[in-house]
Amino acid sequence: MVREIEKTAGIPVVHIATIVPIMLTVGSNRIIPGIAIPHPLGKPGNDEEDHAARRKLCERALKAITTKIDKQTVFKE
Amino acid sequence: MKLELRQAFVRDVQWGEKTQMKEGVLFIDKADALSLLAEEKRFTHLDMDLARPGESVRIIPVKDVIEPRCKLEGKGECFPGFIGGSETVGNGATLVLKGAAVVTVGPIVSIQEGLVDMSGPGTEYNPYGATCNVCLLVQPAAGIEKKEYETALREAGIRLAWYIADKCRDAAIDRSDVYEMADSVEGKAAECGSNLPRFVYVCQAISQGLLHDTFLYGVDVKQILPTLVQPQEIMDGAMISANCVSACDKQNTFHHQNNPVVMELCARHGKDLNFLGVIVTTEMMTLVGKIRSSEYTVKLAQMLGAQVAIITEEGCGNPDTDICMNAKNLELAGIKTVVIGNEVAGQNGASQGLADVTPEMNAYVSCGNINELVELPPMKKIIGDIRAIANVSGGDEKSIGSDGTIVCEIQSIIGSTNELGCSKIGCEWI
Repeated sequence: MVREIEKTAGIPVVHIATIVPIMLTVGSNRIIPGIAIPHPLGKPGNDEEDHAARRKLCERALKAITTKIDKQTVFKE
Repeated sequence: MKLELRQAFVRDVQWGEKTQMKEGVLFIDKADALSLLAEEKRFTHLDMDLARPGESVRIIPVKDVIEPRCKLEGKGECFPGFIGGSETVGNGATLVLKGAAVVTVGPIVSIQEGLVDMSGPGTEYNPYGATCNVCLLVQPAAGIEKKEYETALREAGIRLAWYIADKCRDAAIDRSDVYEMADSVEGKAAECGSNLPRFVYVCQAISQGLLHDTFLYGVDVKQILPTLVQPQEIMDGAMISANCVSACDKQNTFHHQNNPVVMELCARHGKDLNFLGVIVTTEMMTLVGKIRSSEYTVKLAQMLGAQVAIITEEGCGNPDTDICMNAKNLELAGIKTVVIGNEVAGQNGASQGLADVTPEMNAYVSCGNINELVELPPMKKIIGDIRAIANVSGGDEKSIGSDGTIVCEIQSIIGSTNELGCSKIGCEWI
């Protein structure tokens, strides 16, 4: 999906998922490590922590999409 | 550690007035066996049925399969942490009812349960078409959470398997195999000399919660750091399946008890290799967990002085990263690796079989493509509920033909691509 959107539509993609080695293997370019396999985009159980985690991931994604890259890049910060 | 597996061959199973073995026939006192679970409030209905090799019988949906075993001599009891206490097992003598199995069946716990056929082409895919099966059938109590239901069914299956063995302690023994090796690394070196290559077995166990779990001595494996066990402990039921991974590649308790990698390495210890032991490691649901377990596995292998590691996978998808990390990190530490796993290559076999790859994973034994389609002819008797195939991974509502024929991916068959190699199929490079 990530590769096809970039290739055929020419739209840059930020890929958020948990297992970074798989994202590197499948050819994602802008990679953001998610939280855990069953809940990559949040921390269920504690509303405050969940909200903070979601905001952080969202801000990191915006940063990644606006950063010029010339190779596969993992955005840890 | 020295373990003698005393095997009584079970050639038939029948209902009887007393649970016992007599001239190769396992008799089950149904009322007595069911009374074991009379206090279990998590089920509203309990029943048992029998299935024998060659019969026109299909069992579905199957949760776990367990070989009846109990201790005859030595410390502890088989299935430690569930039956008896937590003493270290693996020494002494163990009764094995070879050719018998307890099969747990109930309305589906998760989409990832499967079927067992007692005759026809389905028997090619697992050992259970050739065993005399004592099926435990349950109905969960209304409103019970899936996790509780899984726990209840798992515990019930283990209790029934142990109960059957326990009632057959005086069974005539048809075959006895002794598995003996020194406890320490030094002792093993003395047994093997300095020329034999030093092997460890890295057993990856699914450990992710959400019905994807394994227990070791009663401890939930997702709570452990990788740890060391002697092979005989595994034969005594130290590892218990608690998972609902795809039917084809979830390691049943039976698979752990009969792990072919463990058995083969034991058989060759002192002959052409030195088997240092088993590293039980995890397949976690976070990246940091996977990294930690892989790093720790390498450290344990190095502390033992291993030169070769055989790695087995459980499940597919994200555990592919665990096999890649373990192969890469071990190879970089100078330890040669071989991985045993399966493939998810699509029904035409043309897709990439693994979700993750790495150049260091340079020796891979495939136990088959889980997406391969198979046609299973109708059976005269169904134990369980045939409609479950609609919700089993590898099947759907169109899988059942009007005459009861099932067309599904082999992933719907329990143990069909078992990644310990406990099956008859595999792939060849073409």
